[in-house]
Amino acid sequence: MTAVTERPRTTGAAPAPVTAPPRRRVSPERVAAGLTLVALLVASLVALRSVDIDPARMLQSWANAERFFGRVGAIEFPPLGELLQLTALTLGLVICGTLLAAVLSVPVAVLAASNTTPGPGWRAAARFVTVLARAVPDVVLAMVFVLLFSLGTLPGILAIGLHSVGMISKLFADAIEQIDEGPRTAIRAAGGSRLQQFTAGVLPQVLPSWVATVLHRNDINLRGSVILGYVGVVGLGMEMSFAFKSLDYGLGLGYALVIFVLCVVMEIVSSSVRAAMLGIAPTGRGLGDRVVRRATRRRGAGHPAPSRPAITTVESALRRPWDRARRRDVSWGWLAVAVVVASIAVCDIAWSDLVTVWAKVPAVATQFWPPSFGSYEASTMVAAMGETIAIALAATVLTLVASIVVGSLAARNVAPSRGVRSGMRLLLVGIRGVPEVILAIVLIVVTGLGTQAGTLALALGGVGLLGKLLADSFEEVSPGPERALSATGASRVQVYAGATLPQGTRALIGHTFYMLDTNLRAATLLGIVGAGGVGYYLLNASQGSNYGTVTAIVLMILVTVLAVEGLAIWMRRVFR
Amino acid sequence: MNPHTAPAETVVRLEGITKRFGETLALDDASISVRRGEVVVLLGLSGSGKSTLLRHVDGLERPTDGRVTVLGREVTELTGRALRRLRSEVGFIFQQFELVPSLTVLENVLTGSLATVRGPRLGLWSYGRAAKAEALARLERVGLLDRAYQRADTLSGGQQQRVAIARALMQRPQVLLADEPVASLDPESSDQVMALIREIAADEGLTVICSLHQVDLALSWADRIVGLRHGRVVLDTETEGLSKAQVMEIYGRVATSTDQMAAIELELAGDAVR
Repeated sequence: MTAVTERPRTTGAAPAPVTAPPRRRVSPERVAAGLTLVALLVASLVALRSVDIDPARMLQSWANAERFFGRVGAIEFPPLGELLQLTALTLGLVICGTLLAAVLSVPVAVLAASNTTPGPGWRAAARFVTVLARAVPDVVLAMVFVLLFSLGTLPGILAIGLHSVGMISKLFADAIEQIDEGPRTAIRAAGGSRLQQFTAGVLPQVLPSWVATVLHRNDINLRGSVILGYVGVVGLGMEMSFAFKSLDYGLGLGYALVIFVLCVVMEIVSSSVRAAMLGIAPTGRGLGDRVVRRATRRRGAGHPAPSRPAITTVESALRRPWDRARRRDVSWGWLAVAVVVASIAVCDIAWSDLVTVWAKVPAVATQFWPPSFGSYEASTMVAAMGETIAIALAATVLTLVASIVVGSLAARNVAPSRGVRSGMRLLLVGIRGVPEVILAIVLIVVTGLGTQAGTLALALGGVGLLGKLLADSFEEVSPGPERALSATGASRVQVYAGATLPQGTRALIGHTFYMLDTNLRAATLLGIVGAGGVGYYLLNASQGSNYGTVTAIVLMILVTVLAVEGLAIWMRRVFR
Repeated sequence: MNPHTAPAETVVRLEGITKRFGETLALDDASISVRRGEVVVLLGLSGSGKSTLLRHVDGLERPTDGRVTVLGREVTELTGRALRRLRSEVGFIFQQFELVPSLTVLENVLTGSLATVRGPRLGLWSYGRAAKAEALARLERVGLLDRAYQRADTLSGGQQQRVAIARALMQRPQVLLADEPVASLDPESSDQVMALIREIAADEGLTVICSLHQVDLALSWADRIVGLRHGRVVLDTETEGLSKAQVMEIYGRVATSTDQMAAIELELAGDAVR
């Protein structure tokens, strides 16, 4: 995993002399990046010690857990009508937020993508928006918007909408940069304007990926809506936080279970949508794909291929036949419209608030500015931030180790048998389905309040994401070298070590940094439920109306997140 | 096809075109001129500058140095709508067809008419009925009317190139540029597509500049052959009276990469141009 293992590559245009192959030079930058990686690894191990994960104490506290679950008694649910209404509200709010983000992301992505941006200045500005949106946690946005709008769905929609722009616009821009430029050039060559090139040449190419991105983000937002409930965003999350705060654990866990099931159902739905609408074959990545594949297989056998209606004259061709493709497109189109309309309807958005809110902005702004640590010592806050960073680092290294094992076994080309692979994939999906907050809440009960719960929650939850990413990356490596090694008689493990792993190393570094990035953001938030770090102070400050302190903490988080982001960008560039 | 008509006006003129991409010299003081209705075939190795030369005619590239005049307009001076209008009068057929894979065949053809409308278009409904009828007629011309509502990527390579031809026709072009139009096709579809291009070029009286590597094809079709090497025009000769052996010999020279040939080439090329 060090810097120096990279495939040799000749640089420069001059043909190298045949007799003396040039020795690959390791640039100082690569050395520095390699050393940074090592330093990070060491820091992670130190962090791992500092969050004192103590198996002995965990066993001890198992008694706690038993007592706790004894006290919980049976898991309770609210009345069905209320539950359905809350579920609809949560889904509607999340969908509206994600859609808002998608709409806002289009111009940002177009400006940020290297092949569509009008100039480097625009590009830098768009990227700044992306990074900033990602760096400000949606919980913080929600705190601000709750203050501005008091009640209703708008705070949640806006918080999700603005924060998600970071990820969505980034992925939108990536999709734009990956298009085949050929069709666009052809339209340019035919005299199409920039806008026409975009709508006719770029949009059709990126649309499947864009839709997949939005669906994916919608899943993430649904999970994130739990924690938004803690700061006053309506929906299932808020009811759950109320239940826990009033020590009604049975009801709280009931809500947690509902949210978990909802997340899994949404994943199945978005997988079906991707499969059916976009023609992306369900390749068995997740539980959703699995279900969809089975269902379509059963259905597919009965259908004879419909014969194409004969088009013989231009006149008859002017009317598009109602063939299967058209029926499918139209029904999906209307279904999408229906979902959007229903979501907006269920949210019952107080549109007038969007106008009146501006009057409140100056007053709220003065509450948030200037930043100050208020009654806290600066050193306490810095230590808390340090604790958050330690949680993120420790969780990442734990996740990495576990994910290499699970992710490898979940990769088609590594797993010793289909059974193992399916089992591991199922495990990954299962882990991903559990919102980290719920994991943290349960772990707090087991291990007590503090960093240990947060670290384990992130580490466990992280396996779901990193394991999946690694498995996918391993499956995507070029099969040539693997076959070549097998042909020489290498064993499975040798093929894995000699061909699969080296090819996946770059992805591994990239994904791990992504994980660190994600964990850092999550670590700040988990403190809100009592899992250690700066988040606890964030919630305290917000509930005590010390908004200057909120600003100060957010600024600390921003600086840290941006530093990690910068580090990740640098690493990706060096290890390209 | 008809080299003996009276000298027509020059519709494409490249004068001393030099194009650098960073350190690479793609075109080196290249000049050609093409008269209305003439069919010119470019020969040369890959990397010799054929594609770059064609892209200059359409204003897809700006020369580092030199002048490009097409249909009486100075391409290097054009911007915005004027440039788009010029491009619409010049059809371009690509080696890789360059259709939008996820759009229907019909919509791909319709993108050829974008220069004549204002504003963005997405979806069949956004084009007018007249445009649709015209696009369908173009599709009928290339024999793919029954595929109009299929996705472009469900077609074979030869069919896709025919759709691309229909798209170029949709522009109602005066000049047709083709960059190795059949190099990515199997021999059978290659013959069909080439026959179609020739037929359409003759019917519509198009001025054609086409890069190819089949020498006999070049010989039977072209009025003139232009050879490129390392971005330089090393040969510019009428095909009238040339035997295949001669052309092969010329092509051999054009396609040889040894440096000793350069001197002979220049000399012979000088003779050939007359």
